[in-house]
Amino acid sequence: MSRIGVFVCHCGENISATVNCEKVAQISKELKGVEFSTDYKYMCSDPGQTMLKEAIKEHKLDGVVVAACSPRMHEPTFRKACSEAGLNPYLCEMSNIREHCSWVHPKDDLTTEKAEDLVRVMVEKVKKNKALNSIKVPVTKTALVIGGGVAGIQAALDIANCGHKVVMVEKQPSIGGHMSQLSETFPTLDCSQCILTPRMVEIAQHPNITLYTYAEVEKVDGFIGNFKITVRKKSKSLDEHLCTGCGLCTTKCPQKKIPNEFERGLGFRPAIYVPFPQAVPNKPVIDRENCTYYIKGKCKVCEIVCPTKAIRFDQEDELVEIEAGAIVLATGFDVLKSDFFPEYGYGKYKDVIDGLQFERLASASGPTMGEIRRPSDGQIPKKIVFVACAGSRDPAKGIEYCSKICCMYTAKHAMLYKHKVHDGTPYVFYMDIRAGGKMYEEFVRRAIVEDETQYIRGRVSTIYEKNGKLIVKGADTLMGAEPVEIEADMVVLATAGVANHGAEALAQTVHVSYDAYKFFAEAHPKLKPVETNTAGIFLAGACQAPKDIPESVAAASGAAVKVAALFSNDELTREPLIAVVNRQAPPVFSSCVGCFLCQSVCPYQAIEREEIKNRNGEVIKTLAKVNEGLCQGCGTCVALCRTKAIDIHGYSNQQVYTEVMALLND
Amino acid sequence: MNELINKVTKLLNDKTIDAFIGYGQGSTDRVRAIFARTVEQASKLIYTPACTFNLSGYLLKHEVKHLGKLGILANVAALRSIMQLASEFQIKDGEVYILFVNDDASLTEFSDFQSIEAFLEKANIDITPDEKARIEKIEAMSVSERWEFWNKEFEKCIKCYACRAACPMCYCHRCTTDVNQPQWIPVASHERGNLDYHLMRAMHLAGRCINCGECANACPMDIPLNLLTYQLIDPIKTGFGATAGMKADAVYALSTFKPDDKENFII
Repeated sequence: MSRIGVFVCHCGENISATVNCEKVAQISKELKGVEFSTDYKYMCSDPGQTMLKEAIKEHKLDGVVVAACSPRMHEPTFRKACSEAGLNPYLCEMSNIREHCSWVHPKDDLTTEKAEDLVRVMVEKVKKNKALNSIKVPVTKTALVIGGGVAGIQAALDIANCGHKVVMVEKQPSIGGHMSQLSETFPTLDCSQCILTPRMVEIAQHPNITLYTYAEVEKVDGFIGNFKITVRKKSKSLDEHLCTGCGLCTTKCPQKKIPNEFERGLGFRPAIYVPFPQAVPNKPVIDRENCTYYIKGKCKVCEIVCPTKAIRFDQEDELVEIEAGAIVLATGFDVLKSDFFPEYGYGKYKDVIDGLQFERLASASGPTMGEIRRPSDGQIPKKIVFVACAGSRDPAKGIEYCSKICCMYTAKHAMLYKHKVHDGTPYVFYMDIRAGGKMYEEFVRRAIVEDETQYIRGRVSTIYEKNGKLIVKGADTLMGAEPVEIEADMVVLATAGVANHGAEALAQTVHVSYDAYKFFAEAHPKLKPVETNTAGIFLAGACQAPKDIPESVAAASGAAVKVAALFSNDELTREPLIAVVNRQAPPVFSSCVGCFLCQSVCPYQAIEREEIKNRNGEVIKTLAKVNEGLCQGCGTCVALCRTKAIDIHGYSNQQVYTEVMALLND
Repeated sequence: MNELINKVTKLLNDKTIDAFIGYGQGSTDRVRAIFARTVEQASKLIYTPACTFNLSGYLLKHEVKHLGKLGILANVAALRSIMQLASEFQIKDGEVYILFVNDDASLTEFSDFQSIEAFLEKANIDITPDEKARIEKIEAMSVSERWEFWNKEFEKCIKCYACRAACPMCYCHRCTTDVNQPQWIPVASHERGNLDYHLMRAMHLAGRCINCGECANACPMDIPLNLLTYQLIDPIKTGFGATAGMKADAVYALSTFKPDDKENFII
């Protein structure tokens, strides 16, 4: 006979406003096996917990049901309280009479009846609960940082400076990300590369950091503390140990007209190239799609000129296995190209460019050496129109969110232009100016007042070319929606920041969730902004949503602290709510027939094979076996097991059946 | 027929196999399975146009397994059963000696799973036109008509479990139906219990049924059980690109995720 205690919480008024908590406690006392029941205003408070602990001791309770909020909120609280009173924590269950009852129903007798039902179900379940002990698993104190932009760099350095090993994987030939493409940064107008490149060098030199560039994560197995990651190091066609980075090959390569991705198509690069002068590592890669040798089978000029004979045409991709305890996703974002916009010419007008292209024009290391010259004829534009919200905040374009950074960088662009072309006029078409941030509003004011930027509140309906000029048609909504027409020399679209190409595939590889826009989803928008729903995987920077540099860096440091906290212990304590394969007396051994459908369905690779041998060492049966360290208790194997040979601790078939029957046999 | 008897006699004599599962004459004019362990028993093997049923169901039966190394006379359905069982790790390559009678009455031996896979690629594995017509008729019904149709059929069920015994894919030592702690599937042959059992059986065979039709053949109440599982063959093929019993190393369609899986069933 069970001795179960039922504790009904009022949650202030949250529950008691619609549920008669006293009655629920009274009725529960009548249930078979219930020894004690009570109700209290706040069960989670200190006096509430003390009440629970004392009742366990006084009434010698062997099971506890707390009827209160969702177990996601306070299950750990009450399980800990039970544990302190000497009761196994897994003999404590929560009955959710708040989210599942009081919050969703009006004050009514039926609402109270439902609460009684929910308590009864849990009382029946607790009767079938078994004492369980938590599982300890070791932690691999290495972090994997995916993405080498400013967020990835910050996270990697912070983790490495805590004394932990970091492996950084970057898809491009160099780290640096979008920040390395920028000319100056708002709101201080300091040079982007000047503040970033020291950090990039630090990554390359840090004894705790291993850097894989031109590499991609191919597979992620395992779980928090014990991830196993396969990284594909794409062939650079180069022996990196021999290469000195002299750059002779890049000057001799006959392919010279390949659009340069780093310059966002405004310049050209050879087939063997270093993306930009300050690249880390500063060693070239061969772009096999455009290399004459790989296309036609002959050339090899780079091999001939290389003084250290470092070129390797037959080099193959290399797969590297990494063991890591935590993963930081810092894969960043992308911006739409101008060809996304039919009303702005589908990208057919050379002088309609996107914001990132303008950054390259304004950058001293860019294709025009920092002079603002329009791409079509190299003339210095006298009138520039900046279009903010190109795509952003536009449900018709499928991008309903604000890209957040555009207001600020558009103001910056206007300023940079004015600083370089004193007699030029910058116009900005905007919807609203969103300049929330330290020194941000002042910065925009400066653009308007000191640099005489013409801000026009309205949207641009169309852009077309006429006599070498771009005709920008819009409306000024502050002047009674009066039509505005500007004959511009160049147009810069502040195109929407969108999820990186391949973000969805990466999310599926790494097993994290993502939102409708393919940005990675955080575990809680307010309280867990850098965590994902997958334990041990954290987010940094603009892979989560468009973010500016300070925000990306702050998130990266936040993620790094989470990783460091995880690595502060040698072992992780895990809940023992895992799957288990039943065992029976010989000659059956288990009702498992070894079809191993559970093995292919398990998302955590937690199913192993166990061979049952006779005295002569001959295998007489092969069974499935659950690896305690890997199993996350998701229960997918249980659903697929035809013989019901697999069960899950804490949510066993018997327990669920009992719960259902408790409801049906009212 | 003589070629078959000679072959099996030879296999038994040189101890390649300990027992051979083939067809023999039953006590009436019906054909039955025989398990030839001696030369004398092998002489009773027959192969007539009536020898159509799938013998592979016997391969995993406890009593048969204990006879030692087995040989079997397989038809296309049996070959597919063997492939499916192999993919579920129930039969290892080379464990069973497999013979097949060709259209011209000559014998084919399958030395390994690979040769079976190659053979099945060219074989006709479709359900019969008659079965197809019956399925189309069921699928043309409205949901309520279909519900009524199947409930009416299941009403006849006496829970003898002959379908389970005949099915080569029902090899569990302990069927879910026999689990009584807790008892999700009622054992009594009342309407609801019958429905539960047959739905469970159909779901357990989704993506695994190799359309041999032994369940319907075995049913003493003439319930067209095969149509229930056959109906699931097409959705699995179109939805997941999988056909059961074609490859020994196939991974179960419903236990794997591929990025190009259609997710049109998610509302």
